[in-house]
Formats: sequence, structure tokens, C-alpha cells
Amino acid sequence: MFVHTQLKKAVTVSKLMRSISSLVGRVSEKPNPKTFKIYRWNPDFPEKKPHMESYTLDMNTTGPMMLDVLLKVKNEVDSTLTFRRSCREGICGSCAMNINGRNTLACITKINKSDGKDVDIYPLPHMYVEKDLVPDLTLFYQQYKSIQPYLQTSKPPPEKENIQSIEDRKKLDGLYECILCACCSTSCPSYWWNQQEYLGPAVLMQAYRWMVDSRDGATEKRRQMLQNSMSLYRCHTIMNCARTCPKGLNPGRAIAAIKRAMATE
Amino acid sequence: MPAARFSGLQKDVLRLYRECMRAAYAKPKENREHWVTFVHSQFNKYRNLPRRDFSTIEYLLRVGKKRYQMYKASDAKDVI
Amino acid sequence: MIFARLGIKTLGTALRPAVHSPLHHSVFRPASACLSRSLFIKTIPQPVGNIVGNVNDAYVGPTPNKFTGSRHWTFERAVTICMTPLMITPFITGSISAPIDAAMAGLLLYHCYAGWESCIIDYIPRRVYGVWHTAAMWLLIFGTAVSGYGVYVLETSSAGGLWGLCKRIWKHKKED
Repeated sequence: MFVHTQLKKAVTVSKLMRSISSLVGRVSEKPNPKTFKIYRWNPDFPEKKPHMESYTLDMNTTGPMMLDVLLKVKNEVDSTLTFRRSCREGICGSCAMNINGRNTLACITKINKSDGKDVDIYPLPHMYVEKDLVPDLTLFYQQYKSIQPYLQTSKPPPEKENIQSIEDRKKLDGLYECILCACCSTSCPSYWWNQQEYLGPAVLMQAYRWMVDSRDGATEKRRQMLQNSMSLYRCHTIMNCARTCPKGLNPGRAIAAIKRAMATE
Repeated sequence: MPAARFSGLQKDVLRLYRECMRAAYAKPKENREHWVTFVHSQFNKYRNLPRRDFSTIEYLLRVGKKRYQMYKASDAKDVI
Repeated sequence: MIFARLGIKTLGTALRPAVHSPLHHSVFRPASACLSRSLFIKTIPQPVGNIVGNVNDAYVGPTPNKFTGSRHWTFERAVTICMTPLMITPFITGSISAPIDAAMAGLLLYHCYAGWESCIIDYIPRRVYGVWHTAAMWLLIFGTAVSGYGVYVLETSSAGGLWGLCKRIWKHKKED
């Protein structure tokens, strides 16, 4: 009797499951199209002007992130689409681009699948474009190199580790996480107008990261380098950097800390 | 006859061309011809570009300078 | 005014989204290139792609100068901080003594000067405009001097200084 009831229950449950799955199946069969407008420009035909190309994809068969869309377009629709990507988890900073007017990493930006709005994808603003979504970051890296982002000390190397106190280590939190994706620098109007001379939030935050490092001995030299009207003081605390940072960091605060340190030295 | 007057952009292009030719003549003697033909072919590719197409010319200058720096290195001996 | 136009022009070209203008093939175009063609002002040609030297070279900044760097910034902040109570007092007390009013007007003048100076450095940089940058700076100094004379006249006449002037304008409007 008991066995019979159990069996009956199991049959009902399986029936229920089947009907649910068929329901879900029917729902997913209903296409959910979304249009992505992507900036296209091909350097092989430089005389052709850039244009926006629309790709409509069914959201039921696409992954959750913007990078999934780009990869799907590249794999299945148009293999000439060019973009940088590497880690697909927001740690390499390769896929930085302007999505719906905001500089973010495509790999950690979720698609809103139900709002029915088109998505605009541009390369990082105010940078020279290499192709499609690939910006030329040469100047950005040159600037990063200029702040000498490595430990400099006149002390002899320690026997084992270069030890830091817990408090000193805490000072680096919110600074060392920067992945140099250039989202903040390219969102900064000051950097747009004067990128040849203004270092930009990302690089300045790294400059600060080395200034506050307790093991570093070149703080004075690092500050001296910023002692002019352009390199640091073009920051007008617009704070686009903090607003756009895909890692949730605050370069504006780091720049303010540099300014304060330089004012009181 | 007055000397031809060039715009800033035209001067930039000519400067790049001159630099490229100088670099070509700094290469090993036996490969020099290859380099010269290479430079000519690259410049001739866009010979018919409209003079007023500034953005394209600026782009080509940018890329040209990059490639010039790359090919100028003494490790590059020959080009086909 | 040409400088206002320059500033607006730079803003206009840069704020425009990349592709909507067919002329732009790259998102960023140096302001110099746009302006030299649109306004017929000779600008200094910039290095190709804004890159000086090899791709592996580090960027070299301007020579350090404390007076354009940290000292300038600190002075600006100090002036602003001093100004705050001076600006608020007359609103609370309803009247203000002449020397305090003079100090407020003077600091306000410097505050405006520093703000405009910043605008000139941002939008008419020496790097691109060379002599025009210097001209803009001199124009600013001239304007500041004229305003300084105006402040002097206001403070020495029976007008009651800057605060008195504001008061009169406010009351005059009310009577209309």
C-alpha cells in the first residue's frame, strides 16, 4: 500500500516536472531579440568612415554578459569584429569599452535582457582607434611608465621578506586592485582635453600607490615629478573616474590625497 | 617658378617619406632595393587619396610612423 | 569673443559622440587639428598620435616648478577658505565694514582670476596654441587689473563697497 502511494506520488511529480519543463520550453522558444549597435572601423580601408553596425541576437541563446554577446557575434555572425578580451572575469582589463555611454569592462557588465532597448557599444572615448573596439593605449602606457611603478629603495635588500605592518598594508587597499583598464582616464574630461600632459586618474592613482607604500623610498622624487600645473593639477575633481571604475575604486580620492600631501610637505 | 607651398600635413607626409628612404639606405646594400620598393609600394597605395581627407591622412601618418620605427631597427635586415 | 568661441568650439567637437560626425574616423582628434581648419588660427602641430619617441619610452612631463604646482594649488584653496566666512557674514549681519568688504572683493577677484586661469590652461593650452595662450593670459591679467581698479573705485567712493552695490541692485530690482 505504502509502496503504491509512493509510486503514485512519484508519477505525479514526474508528470508535474514534465509539464513545467514543457512550459519553460515554450517560454524559451519565444524569441527575445535585442539589438546591439557596435562601432565599426576598418584600418585596411582608412578612407571609409566609421559606422555603427547593428546585430540582433536572440537573448535566450546568449550568455549573461556583454562579452558573451561580442563573442557570439564574432563566432556566429561577423568574424571581422575586433575587440580585446582575455580573462572574462574582470581582472585583466582588456575588454574596456564604452557600453551605453559608460566606460566598463564588457566581461562584467550584465545585459538587461528584458528592457527591449538597444545597446550602443563604442571603443573608449577620446582615444585613437586601432580597429573597431580596440583603442591605442600607447600614450597611456608611456605615462604609466613615467611614474616608475616599481619599488625603489636605497636600503640593502632584506634577508627574507620586505616586511610591512598590517596598518601600512591597509593603506594600499583600494589602490593595488587597479587593473589599468583605462576606463577612468578615458572618462575624465581633463584627460580628454590635455592627455598629452595630464597623467590621468589611473596613472595618478598608481603614483599614489607607490607614494604611500611603506617600503618605497622614492616618495620625494615621485612628488617632485608632479610639481607642475599640468601633470597632476589638471584634476578638477570632476569624479567621473570614481563613478565609472568597473572595480569600484576611487582614483579621485587618491589624487586628492596626493594634492594634500604635496600641500603640506 | 615659386617653390611649391605645402600644407602642414603634406610636409609631415614628405618628412615621413624622407625618413623612410634614409632608413632604407641604412640597410645592408644587397637588400636596399627591396626596402626602397617596399617604401614606394606603401606610399603608392594611398597615392590617390583626396588631399582634404585629413582624418585618413592623419591616421596613415600615425601608422606609418609606428611602422617606420619598427622597420628601422637594425634587426630587420630584409623585406619582401 | 574669440577665446570664448575657442573654448566652446573645443567643447563642441569633443562632446559630440564619435561616429555621428563623418569626419571623425577616430574617436579622439586633437583639438588643434579641428581648430586650425575651422577657425583659421595657426596652431602648433602635435606629435603624431600624441606619442613622443619610441613606444617603449616613458612620457616626460614639464619641468617641476613649485609655484605653478603645489604652492599655487594651496594658495587657491586658502583664498577660497578665507572667502567663505567673508561671503557669509554680510548675509547674516546685514551690513559690513569697509575693510572687510575690501578684503572680500579682493579675494573674490583673485578667486575669479584663478578660475579663468585654469580655464585658459585647460582649453587654450600653450602646447597647442603657443602665443595665443600667452595672449589669453595677458588679456586675463588686463581684465583683472581693470576689475581691480573697479573694486578700488567701489571701495573708496561712498557706494558702500561691493556689498553696498549688490544691495542697491537688489533693491532697485524690487522696486521695478
